[in-house]
Amino acid sequence: MRRSIAYPLVVLGAVGSTLAVMSPAQAHGYVSTPPSRQALCASGDVKNCGPIEFEPQSVEGRKGLRSCDGGNAPFSPLADDNRNWPATAVGNKVTFSWVKRARHRTLNWEYSIGGKIIATVPGNNAQPDSVVNHEIDLSGFRGRQTVLAVWNIGDTPMAFYNCVDLNIGGGGGNDSRPPVAEVKPPVEEVKPPVEEVEPPVQEVNPPAQAAPAPEAAAPEEEQGKSGTEWARNTAYRTGDVVTYQGARYTCRQSHTSLVTWEPSIYTLALWMPV
Amino acid sequence: MRRRYAAVLIAAALFTGACGTEPEPPTEKVAVQAVVQAEGEHNDTDVMYLQMMIAHHEQGLQMVRLAAKRAQRSDVRTMAAAVDAVQSDEVTMMKAWLTKWSAPTTVDHAPDAHADHGGLPATGPNEIAALRKAKGPAVDTTFLNLFLAHQHSAVEMAGTETTGGKNAEVKALAQRIRDSRTDQIKQMLNLLNG
Repeated sequence: MRRSIAYPLVVLGAVGSTLAVMSPAQAHGYVSTPPSRQALCASGDVKNCGPIEFEPQSVEGRKGLRSCDGGNAPFSPLADDNRNWPATAVGNKVTFSWVKRARHRTLNWEYSIGGKIIATVPGNNAQPDSVVNHEIDLSGFRGRQTVLAVWNIGDTPMAFYNCVDLNIGGGGGNDSRPPVAEVKPPVEEVKPPVEEVEPPVQEVNPPAQAAPAPEAAAPEEEQGKSGTEWARNTAYRTGDVVTYQGARYTCRQSHTSLVTWEPSIYTLALWMPV
Repeated sequence: MRRRYAAVLIAAALFTGACGTEPEPPTEKVAVQAVVQAEGEHNDTDVMYLQMMIAHHEQGLQMVRLAAKRAQRSDVRTMAAAVDAVQSDEVTMMKAWLTKWSAPTTVDHAPDAHADHGGLPATGPNEIAALRKAKGPAVDTTFLNLFLAHQHSAVEMAGTETTGGKNAEVKALAQRIRDSRTDQIKQMLNLLNG
């Protein structure tokens, strides 16, 4: 059997190149939940935000600013209050989660509403973990509020800015979640044992017309229909059949399709030629 | 186009024996490395990128395997299982390329040696431990946030290869990683807040 096949790259490039991805020169951190404005832009919940859609972690500006865009003109849609930003319903205590890329030494994290600082979390000039959670008490506030969440860096003059629109006391989605586990130095073995991966959660031999997924999918996500043309952002189940560039493929691993996850020589874990 | 068909047919042939009605266990899914070779010249950036991505993927695989078992939401478990399948194949492929080049498949893993400038994985033992310790719905949110950081880091690392790499197949891999992870970040933000 020939084992050395050069797969033409242009075929795959066709899909990838439609996505205008910027390569952030420096990528740092942002509030992922409750979603900051940059998270809402990156998730597609708020459209036409410009380049911030591809680098929500990059809203960097000098310390001491009070702006949602950190003074970055390309990110100015973040500071546009007329964009009708969706406000997340929360209770009086809210856990803010930061996703960090570069773990700068940290002076502190500051949370403010209307220019008034409501909480400061010390950073002790240490490098934080890649995810940082803070539970902030917002009990002095009601209704729609915009929280400015700032990560002040310890060893540069810079800070990272996030505006988080909340509806406080408005049903409390976030508040009902159990506390998020704190990241602490490992108490257990650093290297977990190699685990046997159980077969993924999937039915054996599902019917060609798959039953609806047991839980609601993301709002704009399509449920895949067997026998149709492959599409992005579509939930496929094991056994579904798609057509792609004139050939037919069977789904062998339930998934929601992404850019570059179309049937190809690189995605044999997902799709098998029929 | 004809070359593409040839590749797919050979891939199909590889699987004919194992492709009955029973789904195979994930470990037997892989045959990509048998058909995709990184032929042509390569440079130090290609080697370093592959070594770093293998380490990065292996940490990611630890996370998705925990999540595929322990997440409460089925959509999160499904996402984790799919990432496991795809990234396991990528690891096998990257290791095969390095082996063919007679280069080591591991990278010096001194803690935080290059963490500030994208040199090493965003996630380490602390993060894996936090995920193992999480209970209930916190498993889902902890996983999604950690994996967001992980994939942001993958997007960033791809930039070093697409600008400084030489081998066409490795650069194409970096571009696929960049594009798919960018899309996956969007998917995970929706899972987190949708």
